[in-house]
Amino acid sequence: METQVSEDFGNEVYETLKYIIDPEVGINIVDLGLIYSVSLDGELLEIDLTLTTPGCPMSGTIVNATEQILLKRFPNLDVKVNLVWSPPWSTEMITEEGMRQLEGK
Amino acid sequence: MSTATTSNSPGKWVVLPHYAFAALAFVALSILLLFSTDAFSGHYFHPKLLTLTHVAALGWATMLIFGALYQLLPVVLECKLYSEKLATIAFGFLGVGTILLAWCFWNFELGHVMHVAACSLVISFILLNINVIQTARLAPKWTIESDFIVTSAIWLLVTGIVGLVMVLNFTMAFLPVEHTHYLKLHAHIGMAGWFLLLIIGVGAKLIPMFLLAHAESTKKLNWSYNLINAGLVFFIFDHLFIHTSLLPVYAGLVVGGVLLFLLFIYETSKTRQRHDVDLGMKQTFVALGLLVLPIVLVFIVSSNVNLPQQLLSAVYLVYGISVFLGFISAIILGQTFKTLPFIIWMHAYEDYVGRFKTPLPKDLYNHTIQRWQNISYLLGFILLITGILLRDQQLILAGAIGFTITSLLYTANVFQLLMHKVQELKPFSYGNASV
Repeated sequence: METQVSEDFGNEVYETLKYIIDPEVGINIVDLGLIYSVSLDGELLEIDLTLTTPGCPMSGTIVNATEQILLKRFPNLDVKVNLVWSPPWSTEMITEEGMRQLEGK
Repeated sequence: MSTATTSNSPGKWVVLPHYAFAALAFVALSILLLFSTDAFSGHYFHPKLLTLTHVAALGWATMLIFGALYQLLPVVLECKLYSEKLATIAFGFLGVGTILLAWCFWNFELGHVMHVAACSLVISFILLNINVIQTARLAPKWTIESDFIVTSAIWLLVTGIVGLVMVLNFTMAFLPVEHTHYLKLHAHIGMAGWFLLLIIGVGAKLIPMFLLAHAESTKKLNWSYNLINAGLVFFIFDHLFIHTSLLPVYAGLVVGGVLLFLLFIYETSKTRQRHDVDLGMKQTFVALGLLVLPIVLVFIVSSNVNLPQQLLSAVYLVYGISVFLGFISAIILGQTFKTLPFIIWMHAYEDYVGRFKTPLPKDLYNHTIQRWQNISYLLGFILLITGILLRDQQLILAGAIGFTITSLLYTANVFQLLMHKVQELKPFSYGNASV
């Protein structure tokens, strides 16, 4: 995860994005390691995110959901979400919390 | 970083009618099975058995696979489906063809209606091929999974054409050799060319995806593809033209391909991060385990094994059943609940995600019903094949009852999903979402 914003604001963005759950895995997109970067340029909040597999039918839904939830949380900012495939997602990107949930602990 | 496009999913009216038709066909198949317990004591060329086989192969398995394929093709090939209209027309031809063909076989009416049925089916297979091949041409990269899927569609068309020729031969009798000779060809191209290749192609992508596992290499899949196709081509050539006793060798090539696929799944699943295997995946593993039966039996039916005629007939029947009601049905029963809830969820909730607290796909159907569906299926299958091998009509009836219960439970869950309506949703207040 790459953050080009203040730590407090970055945390606020990640906490907001944790409300979006990957419907197949049942884990939020942050702990699944799908958020690659968060940056703020003036009033433009930009997110790079990926999916567990290219061609995933969820792409439109997750991109829209990310935009929607951030616009609602930060109504004074513009939000741009980029769906990226490089580097490809792998299971090493799952956070410790995500792994804990996958293992059902 | 390269930026990707948004969702490639087709509209729900392209996909969902296939699931509804397939579920109802499964119920019809089970009820027909209840009334066919007397048909399992002789040769497989029997009107009731031909009806059951075609309802299972076309109305149940192919119909569901068509629907799932329209949803999964964009996932596997990473591009949009070529034509939703072609898919809808193909559904119509497949549905009409299946119903007419089943009626003709049950009543053993071999005339014009059967010709219409066979033509209708071939048209639907041609339309599927156009859609699959044109979609594959749009794919940004070519993978071994694409090879499996495109080739399987071509084999489906070949299966349909051989079927059409046999239907015409019923009334015109122009084929040089007896009908069952071509029936073997028709059945094996369908089983290994269409179903096996398609399931391997899609399974190789989906099973690792559902397990959060990753494949180190696709070399085994490449060899699996080569071996299955080589075995099938050699078998067709030999069966039509040279008639050697090498059929077990060709069967060995196909079996080798299947074993390599299973090895690929085994090795990939060792890297999985997901340990909570749900009922859908458990049923999928049951299906893969059930592959052992046709893998063993194919060597008996392809060799000139000296068995009593009655036992040999029973083995032939169990062989066919182990493919259609065993492996294929089992994997559909499992994978339906890995795909359909997701499709329903996506169409129902995609506009609400991020704004409202939504349920998950697994919340949209009944897991207790699914558990009993899996149990009654396995019991029904074991009773059915035991009854056929022992020539015991009571056991066959018990197996048919097991399948009927399974089909009703399955259909109840499928229709619960298909008729799902969005409930009143709570907007996010950054405190009410559960993980």
